[in-house]
Amino acid sequence: MNTNEHIVSAFDRDLEGIQAMIMKMGGLVEDSINKSVLALDTRDPELADLVRKGDAAIDALETQVNEEAARILALRAPTASDLRTVLSVFRVSTNLERIGDYSKNIAKRSHAVIEQPPIDGATASLRRMAREVELMLKDVLDAYIQRDIGMAEDVRERDLEIDQIYSALFREYLTFMMEDPRSITACMHLHFMAKNIERMGDHVTSIAEQVVYLVSGTMPDDMRPKQDSLSKTDSK
Amino acid sequence: METKVNNMQIDTRIVGDDAIKIAARDVQVYYGDTHAIKDVNVDILDKTVTAFIGPSGCGKSTFLRCLNRMNDTISIARIEGDIRIDGEDIYDRRVDPVQLRAKVGMVFQKPNPFPKSIYENVAYGPRIHGLARSKADLDVIVEQSLRRAALWDEVKDRLDAPGTGLSGGQQQRAVHRARGLQPATLEILLMDEPCSALDPIATAQVEELIDELRSNFSVVIVTHSMQQAARVSQKTAFFHLGHLVEFDETSKIFTNPEDPRTESYITGRIG
Repeated sequence: MNTNEHIVSAFDRDLEGIQAMIMKMGGLVEDSINKSVLALDTRDPELADLVRKGDAAIDALETQVNEEAARILALRAPTASDLRTVLSVFRVSTNLERIGDYSKNIAKRSHAVIEQPPIDGATASLRRMAREVELMLKDVLDAYIQRDIGMAEDVRERDLEIDQIYSALFREYLTFMMEDPRSITACMHLHFMAKNIERMGDHVTSIAEQVVYLVSGTMPDDMRPKQDSLSKTDSK
Repeated sequence: METKVNNMQIDTRIVGDDAIKIAARDVQVYYGDTHAIKDVNVDILDKTVTAFIGPSGCGKSTFLRCLNRMNDTISIARIEGDIRIDGEDIYDRRVDPVQLRAKVGMVFQKPNPFPKSIYENVAYGPRIHGLARSKADLDVIVEQSLRRAALWDEVKDRLDAPGTGLSGGQQQRAVHRARGLQPATLEILLMDEPCSALDPIATAQVEELIDELRSNFSVVIVTHSMQQAARVSQKTAFFHLGHLVEFDETSKIFTNPEDPRTESYITGRIG
């Protein structure tokens, strides 16, 4: 990675500008993950509403990042690592926007769960899973800004744990539902939330892949082993 | 690149579009005590546009001039190493530089019109190479050449006016009458900053011409415009301080170069 400054210093300011917007977006998204599951766990509908309304700011930033990146492409014709920086910004902003949408969806569903009688320990384990994803997001954004392939690879590996937690939660909710059919409504919603968090992990992984591309110029070629045995329909 | 077919080793580079036209090995150029080109090794392909890029004084024009022995005219210039075109050593004593230049043509940075009419400037090449049998033939060739140089509409009403009266940009386009004066022997076209004085529209027209020329010639272009190199070439060579730093597919050079010096140059970090 080239850390020297451009001869045209305004070019440096442009590139720093879009990356700063990504970091700001990342901060808002981390916060929305945290608050969406906190609202669920503490049964706080007002906090859930705050998360729903906060998603508009994330969407607005995504639009702003994409417009700015398009402007840089048109006016500065970036090449090599500069080009990869601009391309990665497009991808990463889309990933962050999607994660924000999942938080918003969790916030929406939490209203339905709060109306149901609480299930012991069910929301706490969801919160731990979300906490893991939030940490992965924080680390991948650090890896992005520090151009750290090692840290990005580490985040990719950690997505396996998220997939495993998801599988465990799926079985847990299934058990709850079989034991007490009155918990079905709540457990169905909780399961969708777990799936949302699992998808968040995939988007964080995709950002990690962008970091690898940004630094090395090539996408990671090894296929990440999938641990989600639930999506398989055969018995192998 | 070697491919095994029926137990026969075939060097795939010498067939089809990947044929090597110019092979340079360990080329050194000295201007007196100055070591201007250092250990340059490169294979330039036929029917391909190859761009030489690099900061001023990096040696790209010097190396380009080696390819048709234009440096012979500079008394203090000394060239070592091996440059072969179609396998033939162009610095062999038996090679006639004039014949070589009929095969390896050069379009210059500075246009050089004769103090004659626009018509005569364009007709000169085809006439001495015997490409026209009659005045009518010659008229057709002149018009075609000027159209290819995107100049016809501007000069058709004043073909008898002196060539030196054209603007700098028009003169430069006029020298792109390469097609008009191209002797039948021309195989390689060397271009030194062919668009340096042109407006964007004329530049696009010349770039279109370069792309057309690629189907018949090996084209080597020296340019300071990296965007131009990216637009017209398939291969790019980056020169720095007399060294050929990196030579690769143009798309590779501009998206993911191997050498940090190439990266610094194309991203605008060193001058």
